[in-house]
Amino acid sequence: MQNEMLAATHESYFKIDPRTKLILMFFVNMFAFRGGNIFIMLTIAAIPVILLFAERKIKGAIICAAVYLAAALINEWIVPATHGAANVLVVMISGMFYRLMPGFIMGYYLVVTTTVSEFIAAMERIHISQKILIPLSVMFRFFPTVVQETRSIGDAMRMRGIAAGGSKFWKRPMSMIEYRIVPLMMSTVKIGEELSAASLTRGLGGPQRRTNICKIGFSVHDIVLLSIVMAVLLAYFLFEKGGVSL
Amino acid sequence: MTNKKLQAKDLIHIGIFTAVYFVVFFACGMLGYIPILFILLPVIVPIGTSIPFMLFLTKVKKFGMVTIMAIISGLLMFATGHTWLPIVTATGCGLIADIIFKAGEYKSFKHTVLGYAIFSVWPIGAMLPLWVMRESYLEYIRVSMGQEYTNMILSLTPNWSVFILIGAAFIAGIIGAYFGKAVLKKHFQKAGIA
Repeated sequence: MQNEMLAATHESYFKIDPRTKLILMFFVNMFAFRGGNIFIMLTIAAIPVILLFAERKIKGAIICAAVYLAAALINEWIVPATHGAANVLVVMISGMFYRLMPGFIMGYYLVVTTTVSEFIAAMERIHISQKILIPLSVMFRFFPTVVQETRSIGDAMRMRGIAAGGSKFWKRPMSMIEYRIVPLMMSTVKIGEELSAASLTRGLGGPQRRTNICKIGFSVHDIVLLSIVMAVLLAYFLFEKGGVSL
Repeated sequence: MTNKKLQAKDLIHIGIFTAVYFVVFFACGMLGYIPILFILLPVIVPIGTSIPFMLFLTKVKKFGMVTIMAIISGLLMFATGHTWLPIVTATGCGLIADIIFKAGEYKSFKHTVLGYAIFSVWPIGAMLPLWVMRESYLEYIRVSMGQEYTNMILSLTPNWSVFILIGAAFIAGIIGAYFGKAVLKKHFQKAGIA
């Protein structure tokens, strides 16, 4: 994983518009989370995996495909065969992968192939207010920082023997929250100050409308992808709602 | 800081704190995979997120800050596969909380407690389908999580429990506000950050 989100380093091999990526993200998440017919689920999961292949992230794509297939098969065959506590456990683990992974893969794809500039250009094109857009793009930029900081703080805490489940944890659970979040806040506030100084220097929030160098627009790629999504949508309504069976 | 309108700097701060808020929120939400804790989420979340939120309040102090944070949180909930209800509850609770904070000029602690308690109610939106669209939602859980998980959820959520949950979230918000304030005083004011 790259250190920064929305930080593609090279020209994309299979260029699609950020707006298409967002629409795909929306549908993939919605279908995957709603669940349903295994064929629809596999089609939905295939979209981001194929996009990863097209982007030559071969290793990641293969791992994602393998894990997802395993989760789907477990969900299809093992879940109906178990009961009681075992059932709850299996459902918790495989169900989580089964429903969340397509969204995560899509999110990963969105993040490694889009730059912040492209994202902002696309958002401006659909007239999202600056008041929503600036916090949103800062947030995307900031998630990995927060996660990274959390991890380092966790390591430091473990070194001092303050970890969830340790003896100190049970004595004072509230202070656990404090030990974790306070250092996190300290460091993020500092990083945040620097970030806002940096972006103000570059003219963010100035009275002039900012220009953008990124060329975005819909192409054949986008049309193909969007028609696949439409086909899945149609299939979903036919099979799930219309009562047509395979 | 005489300007009352949101500046670019404020918007950047909102983005940063929304990121921290949502990471903590999501970490708390993961506890929901442990079946019993699912129902306790509205209580755990406000206490966990109170520290970033209280610090956030000391940073921006302009009308709209909480509303924008809430809308983005609601959109993120939607993007991670919840129904559209969290967007509605988030926008509503965020706006009311914002008005209350504004009435206290983002300084008065009484207003802060009340505002945060109301803001704390919004995550209920993620669970509201259990009552508002009961039949179809239970069907959806049955498909995705299995029959036994559904039965457990069903036995834990009679119709009246939604009011208890809202009340619990409200009270947890009050506790969270005091907790967050105490932590703020102990750590951040001393360090000169808040």
